[in-house]
Amino acid sequence: MFCKSSNHIRRCLTRDVVRLVVVSAVLSNCVAYAQKLPIPQNLPNNLQIHGFASQSWLKSTNNNNVFGKSSSDSGSFDFRELGLNASMRPKPNLQFSAQMISRTAGKGSPGNIRLDYGFIDYAFLSGEDSKMGIRLGRMKNPLGFYNATRDVPFTRPTILLPQSIYFDRTRKLAIAADGGHLYGEHRSDIGNLSVQFGAVRPLVRGAETEVALLGREMPGHLSPDILYIGQVNYELDEGRLRFAFSGAQLNINYDPASSERLGAGSIRFTPLIFSAQYNAERWSFTSEYALRHFEYKNFGSPPLDLNFWGESYYIQGVYRITPEWEAIARYDVLYTNSDDRNGKKWAAATGGDPHRRYAKDITVGLRWNVTPEFMLRAEYHRVNGTAWLSTLDNPTSGDLSPHWNLFSILGSYRF
Amino acid sequence: MCLLLGLLYMTGSARAVEPYEIVANSGLNEKTLSKNALRAIFGMRLHTWPDGTPIHVFVLPDEAPLHIAFSKEKLNVFPYQLRAAWDRLVFSGTGQAPETVASPEEMLAKVGSTPGAIGYLTRSRMDSTVNVLQVK
Repeated sequence: MFCKSSNHIRRCLTRDVVRLVVVSAVLSNCVAYAQKLPIPQNLPNNLQIHGFASQSWLKSTNNNNVFGKSSSDSGSFDFRELGLNASMRPKPNLQFSAQMISRTAGKGSPGNIRLDYGFIDYAFLSGEDSKMGIRLGRMKNPLGFYNATRDVPFTRPTILLPQSIYFDRTRKLAIAADGGHLYGEHRSDIGNLSVQFGAVRPLVRGAETEVALLGREMPGHLSPDILYIGQVNYELDEGRLRFAFSGAQLNINYDPASSERLGAGSIRFTPLIFSAQYNAERWSFTSEYALRHFEYKNFGSPPLDLNFWGESYYIQGVYRITPEWEAIARYDVLYTNSDDRNGKKWAAATGGDPHRRYAKDITVGLRWNVTPEFMLRAEYHRVNGTAWLSTLDNPTSGDLSPHWNLFSILGSYRF
Repeated sequence: MCLLLGLLYMTGSARAVEPYEIVANSGLNEKTLSKNALRAIFGMRLHTWPDGTPIHVFVLPDEAPLHIAFSKEKLNVFPYQLRAAWDRLVFSGTGQAPETVASPEEMLAKVGSTPGAIGYLTRSRMDSTVNVLQVK
């Protein structure tokens, strides 16, 4: 698949198998060591400590890179996720939670340790059937089924989340934000309804966001206004059927550097996500559909003053072969502009490659729960289009091929 | 291979579990609870008993036959759904996971000694430190 001649294939396979065995041996040693760690229970104030560590290897074809130089002969080990969290519940209606994460994923995520979330949760109304409360601090943004726990491999269906909706390119916009959330829950015989609403300040920083929103690293800087975010969840029959609607509106202002011709523009970004899931004993089916409205104003540069809708969806089926083995298949589609699905209008206007504006990804994968704490995963993506590839990992658009393949394996430990 | 594993899995899940009960610490006044309350408690979304005592939830490992039977028969969910729901709470910071005990002996010891505790045990494992809770 990735090697050209048969001799080369043999060499590649031998080398990759050796590498896999070494990595598995190292990981299983870590697991054996970790299982001997005394994980404390019964701590004061209901203190709980949890964490995870994962390492992936990615190998892609052509020159299309995902998280580091994955298209090189040796692939990329540049995808690592480490997290540690603590929560305390000194009273039944009061919880403190915080999580630190280090994520290495190509040039966009260098692995620095950062506060993923840290907040106070106070339920001011709490009864047998309903609850209302408030969260203050840094919370994860409730977008779709997976955003709030997107960096935790055990909560994801695959090594890479469906990229049409969970872009890794603009994750800093989506991941978490500082401010307040109001939430409510109601449980009854006809299902559980939960609602949350937040007014928060997103963590928009870094070159990746400028590249994602403005096309390249800019001399000025982006400053976000308040982000309004909300999610409604409905679960029937204890989660056999789950539905969610998430929406957000974000205004970002651009402060140009004095040397720039660009105006002090603003970007209004409005994502809407519809999610549905069916869970049976062996099967789970999940689908999410997203619309994203982008409105660029006052940049004083016609190619940047834009107004368009992006569209994404995926359908996904999981089959639990045994409690230890799970197979998954997914079809995932992204159109950067739903009025220009093949990217030709954009290519004509900008001179860019049309395949930068769409991506259709067929994914198949396997998950093996070696122990309840340790999991191995493998998956294969066949992709048409490059819309979700990171510009930082792929600086020269002309090098990219519209048809490409990606293979990945992951080992992940949790406690 | 898959077929064989599948067969093993089916015989495993079809294995009958001894009669069991939902049990609470004997200091608790409650003798009954609604199905909704039971599901909310094990979903880690209801944190106090009606008298204000904090609830402490204890479970056996996901793969324990008694946990599988309890999840399916009393909560009407599959163990993987419970685990996914607890993971969403734990890794988004919006809740906590129940405490996993390694064995029925540990379940009895923990539920029997923790005020406000709830769990499940086969009848042959129970003693006077725990009360049976009836689901209305």
